[in-house]
Amino acid sequence: MRKNRRAKYFFIFPAIIWVLAFTIFPLIYSLGLSFFRVRLGRPAQFVGLNNFARIFSDYKLGNSLRVTLLYVAITVSIQLILGILIALLFNQEIRGKNIFRALLILPIFCTPVAVGYLGLTIFYEEGGPINSILMSLFNLKIPWLSSRIWAWVAVFLLDIWQWTPFCFLVILAGLQSLPEEIYDAAYVDSSSEWEIFRKITFPMIQPVIMIVLLLRLIESFKIFDVVYSLTGGGPGTATEVYSLYTYRTGMKFFDLGYASALGYLLLAIVIVIINFLFRQIREVYE
Amino acid sequence: MGVVRRKSLSGTIIRYILVAIIIFWAIFLIYWGVVTSLKPPAETFTITGLSVPFLQFQPTLENWRTELSTRESRSALLNSIIVAVSATLIALVLGVPAGYALARFEFRRMKNRDLTIWFLSQRVLPPVVVLIPFFLIMRTLHLLDTLWALILVNATFVLPFAVVIMRQTFQDLPAELEEAAEVDGCSDFMSFWRISLPLAVPTLVAVAAICVAFTWNEFLFALSLTTLKAKTFPVYLAGAEDTRGVQFWFIATRAILALAPPTILALFIQRYIVRGLTFGAVKG
Repeated sequence: MRKNRRAKYFFIFPAIIWVLAFTIFPLIYSLGLSFFRVRLGRPAQFVGLNNFARIFSDYKLGNSLRVTLLYVAITVSIQLILGILIALLFNQEIRGKNIFRALLILPIFCTPVAVGYLGLTIFYEEGGPINSILMSLFNLKIPWLSSRIWAWVAVFLLDIWQWTPFCFLVILAGLQSLPEEIYDAAYVDSSSEWEIFRKITFPMIQPVIMIVLLLRLIESFKIFDVVYSLTGGGPGTATEVYSLYTYRTGMKFFDLGYASALGYLLLAIVIVIINFLFRQIREVYE
Repeated sequence: MGVVRRKSLSGTIIRYILVAIIIFWAIFLIYWGVVTSLKPPAETFTITGLSVPFLQFQPTLENWRTELSTRESRSALLNSIIVAVSATLIALVLGVPAGYALARFEFRRMKNRDLTIWFLSQRVLPPVVVLIPFFLIMRTLHLLDTLWALILVNATFVLPFAVVIMRQTFQDLPAELEEAAEVDGCSDFMSFWRISLPLAVPTLVAVAAICVAFTWNEFLFALSLTTLKAKTFPVYLAGAEDTRGVQFWFIATRAILALAPPTILALFIQRYIVRGLTFGAVKG
């Protein structure tokens, strides 16, 4: 580590200024906007805390908040559990493992909007592949996108499809970094596979799992694309997640002040949840 | 590497069946998209089951030909490429030196770790929070429906990848080389440019690929800040439904066209994906 050098400022200042200009400034601007009634083409009108007061009586907001929190809780836990299980499976001897691993990388990088539209084709109720298989096997037709519950399930399935591979990949990397000797000793003491997992493997990969959990939580709160393209928030407002509701408030109804206030509420919620976890993995960046 | 456990034949069989199910599940959506894009439109709904090409129907490139000859489609593709490449270049030009500074120099007023976390925390921010101010800023600057707006926004979103991952890469390089160069009178800029940067090229390429993929996939801002001229491919894909009704063959062709570039890029940087997507927290 070199200390008293001028050069360091030349290296780092452009990036800092960029972030100040394009993240911090918009954030402050947004805070300002949230105290105004802003409509395009009309002068802004100071309304104090009115926008924030509106939050409490906005039932559509309550709905989108519930939808989002439930979505985050359910999909992230399923992704983590499946990710761990698949990683344990792939941590064993499997021929062609590298090819399978490469195939599992694909979903992570798929354009989310495209995933939503492909979802539209596979969940298609009249003769889409899923319904036609269910029809021939169980004589079952699921109203994927027209029923509230099933529309939910469809969004969840796509999200789980896209992000379980991420959990798998990172947890597998964690598993493969564990020294083999610990297992040799464990097998001498001959405990059951489950016991070895519970007492040895799990505690050792726990830091990795925490990181995966944190990253998935952060990204999950941003959900917009898949819902926009698959259900458009519908039927009704059954799948109208927070970002979609805020987007509509701001970009469709041009209620810009209120949309800014909504943004801040989301930021507050995310920070509270993330902060708790972030403190625990802070030392990684020491 | 993997742990070799006690083996039994039935265990092995079950293992491979599970692997087969997982792989089937993982690629089914993409498979279905590709297959649908190869079907003649008239047969989109008449071919049932798994719709295996050649076995169940004669694949055709008709949909692809129509799609790629549409002017709107080509201009959206071009926009997406320009935005992804430009935003990535900006993020690298700003982020790589910053990552180097955080790895090699000591900052006192704000500690290195805090600065790193400050950059990292940009990724925590849900983008919708800054959507409205960005829209108004771009409107004031008359940049709505221009590629500039999207380049600026996306460079901001992917900058943390460049800073944090490059910081770790430079940290992992031995400092002795630079110290030796310094004795020979090499300036800080020279040792960055001539010694550290060339050694960091493989990660640099991986970071660039990740930035390109994320920019390519970005949808919310592309949707909000463009109306006609500057539409990126995902926005073009999202508009398809309104104008043509549910024409699955076009939707599938476009969706596959949208997701092909980022997924193909990902295959080239496999070794770096875990490290990249966890911001260096987990080494893959």
